[in-house]
Amino acid sequence: MFTELNSILNITPDNFKQGEFVLISDRHTDGSFLIHHFLSFYLRARCKVCFLGLVQSFSHYCAVSQRLGVSLVQAKEKGQLIFLEGLKESLSVLIPKEPNTGSQALDFLRDPSAGLRSLYEFVRASVSHTGGVEGVEGVEGGVEEWGPPVLLVDDLSVLLSLGVSVGAALDFSHYCRATVCSQLQGSMVMLVRCEAEEEEDDGDEEGPERLLKGLTHQCSLTLQVQGLPTGYCRDIHGQVEVCWRNRHGNGQQMQKKLFQYKVHDKSASFFARGTSSAVL
Amino acid sequence: MAAPMKSVGSKLSVERPAFTTTSFQKKTRSKLVSIPGTRPSVQNGQLIVSTGVTSLDYLLGGGLAVGTLLLIEEDRYDSYSRMILKYFLAEGVVCRHELFVAAVQESPDDILQELPAPILDDIAIHKPVEQHGLPCGPQDSLDSMKIAWRYQNLPKVQSALASSSRFGHYYDVSKTMEPEIRQAANCHRFYFPEHPTQSSPTQSPMLESYSALLKSLQEVIHKGGFDGAAPMTKSRNILRIGLHSLGSALWGDDLCCRDNPRHSHALTTFLYGLRALLRSSLSVAVVTLPSHLIQNRALMGSITRLCDNAISLESFKGSERETNPLYKDYHGLLHVRQVPHLNCLVSELPDRKDLAFKLKRKQFSIERLHLPPDLSETVSRVSRGELAGAAMPGSACGSSTSGNKHLDF
Amino acid sequence: MLPEILQGTVGGGFVLIQDSSNYSGRQLLKSFIHAALTREEVVHVLGFEVSEEELKDGLNESSMQRLHFHNAYIDPLGWTESPHFTVHQFSMEQLTSLFKQTQQTKPFTLVIDSLSWILRHISTPVVCESLQQLKKGGAVRAVIGLLHSDMHQRGLVGSVCHLATSVITVRPGLRGDGAVAKTTKRSKTGKVTQDEEIFSIKEDLTVTVQGKPSQPGTTQTELEEPEADPTANLTFNLRLSDKEREAKEKLALPFVFSKEKKTALLHTGPGSGRILYEPDANDDYDQEDPDDDLDV
Repeated sequence: MFTELNSILNITPDNFKQGEFVLISDRHTDGSFLIHHFLSFYLRARCKVCFLGLVQSFSHYCAVSQRLGVSLVQAKEKGQLIFLEGLKESLSVLIPKEPNTGSQALDFLRDPSAGLRSLYEFVRASVSHTGGVEGVEGVEGGVEEWGPPVLLVDDLSVLLSLGVSVGAALDFSHYCRATVCSQLQGSMVMLVRCEAEEEEDDGDEEGPERLLKGLTHQCSLTLQVQGLPTGYCRDIHGQVEVCWRNRHGNGQQMQKKLFQYKVHDKSASFFARGTSSAVL
Repeated sequence: MAAPMKSVGSKLSVERPAFTTTSFQKKTRSKLVSIPGTRPSVQNGQLIVSTGVTSLDYLLGGGLAVGTLLLIEEDRYDSYSRMILKYFLAEGVVCRHELFVAAVQESPDDILQELPAPILDDIAIHKPVEQHGLPCGPQDSLDSMKIAWRYQNLPKVQSALASSSRFGHYYDVSKTMEPEIRQAANCHRFYFPEHPTQSSPTQSPMLESYSALLKSLQEVIHKGGFDGAAPMTKSRNILRIGLHSLGSALWGDDLCCRDNPRHSHALTTFLYGLRALLRSSLSVAVVTLPSHLIQNRALMGSITRLCDNAISLESFKGSERETNPLYKDYHGLLHVRQVPHLNCLVSELPDRKDLAFKLKRKQFSIERLHLPPDLSETVSRVSRGELAGAAMPGSACGSSTSGNKHLDF
Repeated sequence: MLPEILQGTVGGGFVLIQDSSNYSGRQLLKSFIHAALTREEVVHVLGFEVSEEELKDGLNESSMQRLHFHNAYIDPLGWTESPHFTVHQFSMEQLTSLFKQTQQTKPFTLVIDSLSWILRHISTPVVCESLQQLKKGGAVRAVIGLLHSDMHQRGLVGSVCHLATSVITVRPGLRGDGAVAKTTKRSKTGKVTQDEEIFSIKEDLTVTVQGKPSQPGTTQTELEEPEADPTANLTFNLRLSDKEREAKEKLALPFVFSKEKKTALLHTGPGSGRILYEPDANDDYDQEDPDDDLDV
């Protein structure tokens, strides 16, 4: 959890807006540090978290979260965290030993044209209170109550590499949003990784660009991580554009802020353009 | 010089007693250290292996982390990417790791036969180098500029990449490895044209060739106990996986042939499966890919994202840059496309991402690309030539820490 | 011209609001709903993209009974057991039966949020046909649709625009508040009027037009400055003649160690504090401990 980012977004683990859909996108640099931020943020906020870790192993998220001061293993044992380890689960589907083994959630790997309905079923079962995972005995002996559900996806664009169409990915995120954000008043964070160059196409390209556009229409807050336009630098890792969409009440429909950032071992610092400690 | 000490460095790490600590994580780490040819990374304690190319190790933050994948985008004629692959495999042979080689253009044995010979007595090589380093006086005076004395003491910019302590071995690319050494290594071969194929009825987006490769990889990993399925039965070892020219048309992939390939997800799905295998086992992979043939840049982007490290090689051979005097000391350019993020928020970043490589008589090395400050034709040619003459011996020893010895006092 | 379309003085037809990911047209769509409701009209909303609460947020409470929300947001594809309305039901017959459920005979305004959702799942000709029928049909007074134009191919956007009587394309304005709407209206006689306006939407969903955007082309040329020569006003001379260079090189700079200077410093002349000592046979010089004559 990066406290500097919290103050930019004006949230704390005790006080944050519910029903938000946060979209993180990155281009020319790695934006996954923000996923780790939100994972630790919502775990500290005592939310019930469903994490679809599609690109890294559980031990990776565990190791990073440890540095950020949260234990994923404990959260998992307490029933606070439901973790889908995409890499591990995918092997039994990609290299089938016997037919019909492995998790149902990754059914799309068998036939990508079938869509992501099974993955959504997994999410719905994980976040809904009626699911069998609720009511796990807590450490104190009582039943631990968790806050509103949160869905985190790292990252959605890898599904496209596995043959899923953009439309199917958008349908999936729509259903997740309807369930998590609207029905259960929870939150959702998704990461989409784009190509280095922004292409000017007329929307028929089946790629992460189109996915990003579609998700931008759905979300309420975007964090666009980009490499520096002037090129690679060791001391400033890139810039983040924070953009609030559809803010009610203050008349202004969109509000944008631009920061440069540097990721450290256990945190990240955000600063206005040109005010890096490396140049001042 | 740290050279004499270093030649036994890899053995030392074998016999180093396991530290007694209370933290569970550290215990496993000290246990893992006992694998020959590996060491924990200085930055994050990750278990790393050498690529066989010292300067590449330095560039990658010490070496390749176990469980990760290095993607090499081939140069146009696949001469240098192939060489790095051979270095990687040769380092595996010397460290007694197990190898898995898959190829489609030629038999994996052909690659294995060409492995460069290791230079095992490094000290002998280093001595003549130091003598070369001394008579730099006349060159220096020609080249020197007037500068206040307090700046004279600053270390010279060192163009060859090298870390202060050594890891991995040196190789002589002009000789091939002796067959006895080579045959001692436990090597698995996957030659697709000779591989028995069975048609699979699944609608998986993967191609048959890739599924077969993934399957045989999994078998090797499972049988060799690299996945930790058979704990503590025997000493742990590393599996080095070298996949040559993945994505080329011979794999049955049309990735390189069309703008919108029919099997556009075949390779990415395979890489996802490979990533899954690597992450759950003690293995490390190097994949070369003829990226210059891939027309669809978006696809190349998603391929890169599924790898951990990614570098691309750009050979001057056949390009207009070959005749450019600015590049006359180098054989090509090397770009770092991606740095890994594994078990840490931020990985050690290289100070620059665009470098140059050259193939010396015996050694391949990666250097910082230096252009002379003066771009006028005549001046730059002369001074570059001399600079190169002075820098060559210095960089050949690989670990010379500074250029101070050129100074007069 | 935007207020005219909003007030419905331009009779019915099919109004298309085009937006892109950098400016959402939903707020304008809600303004249209608000305007229709204040005109005492009945409004049916086909809601795919936002929930009922989100759509009704900000609208006048008193007119809610005239707003019928058809919930296609929760389950547009029928993945759960009890879908209210799925995207595949988007056809004239199905829609007519849907509207009949509300038992209202007055002509109403149909709001589609959004067409993009439908176009992603149903083939364009089918959607266009249904739209054309809705536009003509007696029960529907006007159709207002939202389209995310950056999600589709240009040809698809073109064919939907072709059906519309008015097309409003919104994009963010140059300054923080206010957006730009480019309006194209076709009348039945074939007359086409175009207009570009800066507008802003207040909290109560009323639209105010603030004026016309200035032509971006003219302002840019004014700003352009002649390129300055960086070597024009230097405090030093960049171009030395041979003679000047020679003179410059002769000059001994301070804090520079030349060879002569250095040797002069290191090997100072005789008689300046140098210790000369010739060893004597009596000297008891112990190789092991050269300092043993000292009492340490």
